[in-house]
Amino acid sequence: MAVAGSFGFAALGTGADALASGADTRVRYWNLFSGGDGANMIAMLDAFRKATPDIDVKDSTLQWGNPFYTKLAMAAAGNRAPELGVMHMGRVTGFSPGRLLDPWDVDLLAKYGVRQEDFNPALWNRGVIDGKLYALPLDIHVQLCFYRKDVLGKAGLLGDDGRMIPVTSTDEWFDVLKKAKAAQKKGLQTIGLWTNDQNFQWWFFVAFYTQLGGQWFDDDNTEVLFDADKATQVLEFLRRHVTDGYVIPGAPTGEQFVNGAPFTWEGNWSVPVFSGAELDYGATPLPPVFGKQATHAESHAFVLPHQSGRGGATNEGAHELAAYVVKHALQWAAGGHIPAYTPTLSTDAYKKLTPQNEYVSAMDHQATEPKVWFAGSTGVLAQDLGPVVVSSTMGSAKPASVAQTMKKHLTKLLASKNPMDGRTAAQGGAVA
Amino acid sequence: MTTSAHMTTSAQTVVAPARARTATATATLRRKQGFQHGGWFVAPFLLLFVLFVIWPLLRGVYLSFTDANISGEGASFVGLDNYREALNDSAMWDALGHSAYFTLLVVPCITVLAFLLAMLAHNIERGKWLWRLCFFVPFLLPSTVAANMFQWLFTQGIGLINETFGLTTPWLTDKSYAMLAIVIETLWWTVGFSFLLYLAALQGIPDHLYEAAKLDGANAWHRMVHITLPMLRNITGLVIALQILASLQLFDQAVVMMDFSPGPELSTRSFVQYTLEQGFTSYRVGYASAMSIIFFVIIAVVALARMWLLRNREEGGR
Repeated sequence: MAVAGSFGFAALGTGADALASGADTRVRYWNLFSGGDGANMIAMLDAFRKATPDIDVKDSTLQWGNPFYTKLAMAAAGNRAPELGVMHMGRVTGFSPGRLLDPWDVDLLAKYGVRQEDFNPALWNRGVIDGKLYALPLDIHVQLCFYRKDVLGKAGLLGDDGRMIPVTSTDEWFDVLKKAKAAQKKGLQTIGLWTNDQNFQWWFFVAFYTQLGGQWFDDDNTEVLFDADKATQVLEFLRRHVTDGYVIPGAPTGEQFVNGAPFTWEGNWSVPVFSGAELDYGATPLPPVFGKQATHAESHAFVLPHQSGRGGATNEGAHELAAYVVKHALQWAAGGHIPAYTPTLSTDAYKKLTPQNEYVSAMDHQATEPKVWFAGSTGVLAQDLGPVVVSSTMGSAKPASVAQTMKKHLTKLLASKNPMDGRTAAQGGAVA
Repeated sequence: MTTSAHMTTSAQTVVAPARARTATATATLRRKQGFQHGGWFVAPFLLLFVLFVIWPLLRGVYLSFTDANISGEGASFVGLDNYREALNDSAMWDALGHSAYFTLLVVPCITVLAFLLAMLAHNIERGKWLWRLCFFVPFLLPSTVAANMFQWLFTQGIGLINETFGLTTPWLTDKSYAMLAIVIETLWWTVGFSFLLYLAALQGIPDHLYEAAKLDGANAWHRMVHITLPMLRNITGLVIALQILASLQLFDQAVVMMDFSPGPELSTRSFVQYTLEQGFTSYRVGYASAMSIIFFVIIAVVALARMWLLRNREEGGR
């Protein structure tokens, strides 16, 4: 009977699933997690289902990237949105909060144990637009410097604690690379840098540009404050890895690391891959070669897609589910992500996770894109500037002229209107 | 197909000299009935055609004059703004340049290759079926499968192509090679179609022409230049025309081979891909519609120019 019920009515999108499982409230939840992240998310949902039998969670996993956002936007506009969704934090501003997204009820979140003081303030504020919380952070995911302890040990680059010796300048960094190269297996590159990848190159740029204290726009988003000199410095730094022969352009990064390359810069989502390969490795935030700690960070955040009749039990169920997952994110940390709910970070279980415990400090040194409508993971900003950074790193354009091109792009973007509401960044009111 | 056959019949009915008035009347009547009868057969197609081609086309024209976004809400009329912006958008012209460059590389290569393969398969004595099969089978693969296969073949470090030829070429990650890799994939994948057209045309050349030429003492080279090539002129025109139109619409194999990115330093971003990005990444449906219309006009101009050139040539020949 239950089987027949769910088969017969699931397609109608009515309350049939809730009936079939005997639960009272159905919460539909759209996410973009596949692979290891997907498995971890499903495990957390199953734990929630067990703990809260009166809420029926119907989760759907959609394809990562732009197809997901397109679908979510159209569902919200057509009033067929799920109760709960996941987005990258950087894309929230451009997602027409108030029209395509509904704000969180912070009192309701507090009822289920999630409060503002349990989060990094800067991270929490990224989700606040016009004074309302639109995105509840689940994690941050950061760019890391992965290193092989076996190679670095041979090169004398490990400290007494068994971790890579700290690096505080570009000279020190290239010195480290030189020593590592002398100790590494021949035929491999010294560092994987994703030199051809417009996303990674953009993320690395954001990290080091932030280390230099570079700015993007003024507070009102009316003026471009992009510093072409600082940008040139960053671009020259990235390029030097290629010209000094530490990178084989186009060589697969993770594979070479597994085979013995001493370094690779990757997102923290590579942690399960390298741990699965049983490598003796560590991972730190990107080295502070320009003096200040900062590594690129993006965040998965829960959002409430717009429903014209939002409220009642299903809305409360969405709050309860999101709060539960945010608070029980230890499993999520296994995927390499740093849980946003800071009490998790001080648990013994988390402190025992390696290499997570080595890069957890990245929470306090996040380099993020500016808070404007065109920012965010695979958003317009990254798609415009990423290829330009690549052209510098690959040597088809000079760093100084690339920096000017970047400034031109930023000026154009700042003047352009958000297609979702016809307002420019300055008119967007997206200042927390 | 049905429609054209039907039209030919009715045309003949009309031109056929009528013996008497009654006969003409009967013919008119039959034509009317015939239309009604045929109309019902065509109706299901026509319905879907209007629903999925005509209506979206008209809607696209309308949207191109608005600032519509992906959510379908709050679009307002902006006149020719989208067109003005598009014509000044250097990224759009770059993308068009990539599509044109691809076309310029693919069309001559595929035409020559298809002809050579057809000659080979036509003249070979043993295992004819095997040759035909080998040359044509890749065309039956879905574009994603073929593109994915070549993505592996071209991969640096572990790819079969670099391995076989002892190269270290960064086929997919360097802007000087990326488009070339897509061209090579496209040749392998689609040459079978043009090959088949050529093969059919070769088989359609009457044997007695060759026999007569042989009796007159023409050698193989003369037979090729004076019989085969002239007899294939029409089919060559068709192959070139079809290839130009297909190549300008470059999209699927490129995005699959580049993992849905615009390629190294945007080097393989085609016009279609840029349009898609504007509509579905930037959510600018109005702007993307305007670009589609511009593309439609460009393709129409190319097709018409070819027809015009061909007609002039034919008239000049007479």
